[in-house]
Amino acid sequence: MLLIPVNIVLSKNKKNITLEYSEKSSILDAEFLRVNSPSAEVKGHSPDQKKLVYKKKNVMISGIELIGNYAIKISFDDGHDTGIYTWQYLNDLYQSHDSIWRAYISELRKKGMERE
Amino acid sequence: MSQIKDQVIDKLKSIHITLNGKKSNIIDEKFIDDVVIANKKVFLSIKADKSNIEKYNQLKVKVENELSKIDGLDKISVSLTSHNDNQLDKTQSNKSSRKGIDLVSNIIAIASGKGGVGKSTTSINLALAINNLGYKVGILDADIYGPSIPKLIGESKKPKVSDEGKILPIIKFNISIMSIGFLISEGTPMIWRGPMVISAINQMLNDVDWGDLDYLIVDMPPGTGDVQLTMAQRVPMSGAVIISTPQDLALIDAKKGLEMFKKVNVPIIGIIENMSTFICPHCNKETYIFGKEGAEFEAKKQNVDFLGDIPLEVVIRETSDNGNPILSSNPEASVSKKFLSIAEKIVSKVSVSSSTKNPNIIIE
Repeated sequence: MLLIPVNIVLSKNKKNITLEYSEKSSILDAEFLRVNSPSAEVKGHSPDQKKLVYKKKNVMISGIELIGNYAIKISFDDGHDTGIYTWQYLNDLYQSHDSIWRAYISELRKKGMERE
Repeated sequence: MSQIKDQVIDKLKSIHITLNGKKSNIIDEKFIDDVVIANKKVFLSIKADKSNIEKYNQLKVKVENELSKIDGLDKISVSLTSHNDNQLDKTQSNKSSRKGIDLVSNIIAIASGKGGVGKSTTSINLALAINNLGYKVGILDADIYGPSIPKLIGESKKPKVSDEGKILPIIKFNISIMSIGFLISEGTPMIWRGPMVISAINQMLNDVDWGDLDYLIVDMPPGTGDVQLTMAQRVPMSGAVIISTPQDLALIDAKKGLEMFKKVNVPIIGIIENMSTFICPHCNKETYIFGKEGAEFEAKKQNVDFLGDIPLEVVIRETSDNGNPILSSNPEASVSKKFLSIAEKIVSKVSVSSSTKNPNIIIE
């Protein structure tokens, strides 16, 4: 499985994590991870239940925990700690980072919400 | 403080042994695990070989005698630890701060999609077979709703609690065993919802003093539910073995089990075909009651290893019902040899595949 990172590094300022794979590395910031949490609290149980998470520009990561062989659980300082990010999902977030982010920003605008 | 340590090391160096005809001492030959000295107390352990325990007991007495000659030591505690080479590095990494299941080197799930295919019988016999190969083995009966292990080993006594408040597993046939069945009486049904089951599983993982086992065999309940998910999330499993009968109906469910383990990135060690064939004790005619070689075919199709087949034999059923598994009551029987050959395959596959490493989490 090439998707499994070798190291997962939480930065000193708790604002991003770096996934170091054997041949590349990717950085994902806390706000991006928080608003795209795979938790049912965010995604719901079907696409129409998806919640828009906003005002998370200053969110910080308070902890990372290994889940079995397949995922990590990321805890945030706003109390959210139910998101289990699989290796596959983390890779998807990185690969499609720009399009996911653009979609998020335009949805914020549409609903009149702010990042801060 | 360090002065005392030097004295201890000097004393240990003065204990000579002869190894392969060469004279040496126990420090240079790395017989001693970490030496800890605190408050005039010295703790150390001697790495012992299980097959020659008498010799190591003598060595232990010798070490105690030598160390007692040092002035200023209140207490000398020497223990024997058994080990095998491939787990040496693991047990040495800060042993004291780890607990419960963390000292176990390899956790192997025995699973099936469907009930009644012989998971528990296979689990206990595989545990015994791996123990026969010289490894320290435990078995965790994760089937909360239908624990079968107590019956299979003929044991129903309640486990004791250690001074540290840990549950001590039942030791039988040289295996550490834990089951919810030890805690409740045989006829009591567990009428529990998911969260209760999850906390029971967590307790059997965290609060049981498993010790430094080489292998922990987990007898999974059938299906793909709460227990399976909890296990997959709570512990890094080395691999899963799927049991199936050759019957199509069982194989459909076995496939679901396979897919589940793939989803949570637990390596599939392989498939065992149970109840593969029946040899009539009267006429010696072989009958494929559930069809022929179904599991082997499915293993090929799914691109996983086929570990072997276990026939339907009345002796397996009888020994199971009597609480004395075939591997213990008749290790020379032909089915026992089949279990042993499967155990060898499992052990060799796990030692290779455990190189698939989980990431290090680094907090800057």
